[in-house]
Amino acid sequence: MAFQEATKLLQTLKTALGKGDLNGADAALSQLKLKLIQLPALPPTFEKTANAQQELLLGREVLEQAVLLALRKADEAGMERAFAQLRTYYNDTRPVLPPSSSELPLQGLDLLRLLVQNRIAEFHTQLELLAPEAQQDPAIKQPVQLSPRRAQQDPAIKQPVQLEQWLMEGAYNKVLAASRAGASEVQGVLLAQLATTVRDEAASCAEKAYERLRLADAQRLLLFDSEAALRSYAEEHGWSVSADGYLCFKQAAAEGGAAAPTTASRAIPSLELINNALVYAKELERIV
Amino acid sequence: MEVDSKPEEAKTVDAAPATTAPPTVAEKLKAVVSLVEKSVKAKDTRLLIGRLLRQTASVRKQLKSTNVKDFLRATLPADLDARSFLISSVEQAASTAMDADGEATTSPACEATTVIPEVELYAYLIVLLFLCDGKHFQLAKAVADNAVARVGAFNRRTLDVIAARVYFYYGLAYEMTGEQASIRSALLALHRTAVLRHDAVGQETLINLLLRNYLHDNLYDQAEKFRSKAQKSDQFRSGQQYCRYLYYLGRIRTIQLEYTEAKDCLQQALRRAPTIAHGFRITASKWLILVRLLLGEIPDRTEFAQPGMSSALQPYFEVTQSVKAGDTLAFKQVADKFSSVFLADRTHNLITRLHQNVIRIGLRRINLAYSRIGLNEIAAKLHLASAEDAEYIVAKAIRDGGIDAVIDHEGGFVSSRERVDVYSTCEPQAAFHARIAFCLDLHNEAIKAMRFEPDAHRRKAESTEALQERLAAEQELAKALEEDDGDDF
Repeated sequence: MAFQEATKLLQTLKTALGKGDLNGADAALSQLKLKLIQLPALPPTFEKTANAQQELLLGREVLEQAVLLALRKADEAGMERAFAQLRTYYNDTRPVLPPSSSELPLQGLDLLRLLVQNRIAEFHTQLELLAPEAQQDPAIKQPVQLSPRRAQQDPAIKQPVQLEQWLMEGAYNKVLAASRAGASEVQGVLLAQLATTVRDEAASCAEKAYERLRLADAQRLLLFDSEAALRSYAEEHGWSVSADGYLCFKQAAAEGGAAAPTTASRAIPSLELINNALVYAKELERIV
Repeated sequence: MEVDSKPEEAKTVDAAPATTAPPTVAEKLKAVVSLVEKSVKAKDTRLLIGRLLRQTASVRKQLKSTNVKDFLRATLPADLDARSFLISSVEQAASTAMDADGEATTSPACEATTVIPEVELYAYLIVLLFLCDGKHFQLAKAVADNAVARVGAFNRRTLDVIAARVYFYYGLAYEMTGEQASIRSALLALHRTAVLRHDAVGQETLINLLLRNYLHDNLYDQAEKFRSKAQKSDQFRSGQQYCRYLYYLGRIRTIQLEYTEAKDCLQQALRRAPTIAHGFRITASKWLILVRLLLGEIPDRTEFAQPGMSSALQPYFEVTQSVKAGDTLAFKQVADKFSSVFLADRTHNLITRLHQNVIRIGLRRINLAYSRIGLNEIAAKLHLASAEDAEYIVAKAIRDGGIDAVIDHEGGFVSSRERVDVYSTCEPQAAFHARIAFCLDLHNEAIKAMRFEPDAHRRKAESTEALQERLAAEQELAKALEEDDGDDF
């Protein structure tokens, strides 16, 4: 009977994951997936068998573990895959199953993943699926209780939302501080990646915004641990370090100050203009 | 409500009881039925779409249970299953609604023994109209189920127009009873069938129903996938369906942060919406305002002052004002104050997104006003926590091209670069190009929208009878357009 075996395997998977035995967990998971295929009540067939509910619960738990495992292995693609499968359970089995306790934390992790990969559009699409609930401030009590169970109130969801807002505003220091503070162990992996993404963003901003910057300040602004790390980072980006301890950004040096307007007026986008003119001619010909 | 009799009706009312001047509901319905029969015979339903719906709309407000029952008795043959089913549905609705009309007047029973499917489905449609207007959605659901099953039993192109309306009420009944998720696969199957049968009207209606269905549950991802993969003709047959489609597309694009495209879609939808579609216009305006704000545009004050809309748009007006001022505190207050409104409109996530725009606009104002200002001053003005926060935010604004300035970290200030004369850049040319492209596009769309009869070039002269009928139809159309304000959308 596939169901019993699968239940046993799930236990193995859980203990392996608990002990941090990633290889063991991986092996158990691949066996589990084979077993899951044999259960008729799982998507996409959704057959209404006698113990459909248990099977669905089992399937959901397996996939939840799979997401966590992928996260441990820092396997973003694997996590995306597992979560895509899991989403079916969350969205389509609501009437049948009791809500999972780990649903919101996992959704939060998924949001964080999208944020790390800079897929903001998908981030917002996912966010729309979550709880139309009071999200701005816990202080405002909502008269409209649309679905009290799910809430963007939940800290697991609120965190990525807040991070996204900071990212968009450009408050990188807050993002980095948050990633330093690092909440749970599982989030740590993603937050560390987020930190790298954010540093790149901050660096590209700094490139444009400053003409030159003292090394110590740059180190603080980009939140590097040591000056050496900053120096190698600067080298990668082709920034030069002057003798008196200043970091010079090449672009800022190239077109700083009064040079800007002249270059702007000189560069006439001739190709674009020609294209436009040709389009007008063609369209006019069609009309006349 | 129109009361004058139409030439059309005078001609076609034959078996009706001899009543005096203003046509009763029964007569009007009878006229429609004969119109349906005639056009089915001629295998030409193009005219039907407009006339049928207009005439039905004109009787819609007068529908009562007695009327509807009379109509059913008079049109459907006694041995048809649908007849007893529909009548019982109407009776149930009447009994719950405590209709004080008394028992039905004796009406002539239908003499015909068979009835063409179009008329049968039209009877379904009338019952659906009646039930939905009376808010008997549970009953409407049952009727719609039967009607859709019945439509599926035929494969007649002449049925398309009526079937599309039936689908619409099918979707409405399920949505009102909150079971829209359960008909999703049924709608998809219907859409598939409509595509295979080249049923353009049905396709358009079903696409919109599905999009609405998905968006109702915030399934933007699925909606977009369906929209991009569904086959559809370049040109929508029905302007109203196109308008709805644009609105849904605009919403999807907004969520995906494609604000420019969203703005185009919503603007088009708003322009195409008839003036009486009030609820639609308000909703579309709300979205459009938010999208424009997110794009960094400030909508004009007159847009909020459109008749009948100002009170509904009030929260959005206040949001706009706070964004315009770049005042983060005021923005937060407004967002808190109206948060229940935004939740109900399902725009609260967009409001959250706006926060960065408020900061950006505030920053731009500061940048324009000061040639040099300290970071801690900026932080104070924008109500940011510290000068350090301000520094990062200013840096990002500079990189994104929002402001043109340089930060001096040691001095702790921001100095604006000299402002470039906008006429020395490509800005005017780009704006000019956008307008030309819009005009050309409009022209092309207008040309494409013209539709001609398939065999117009072959027909030499119209027979006098046909000519008369055409004139009558045109007259009616002109009248309907005049009084468009009173009619249903």
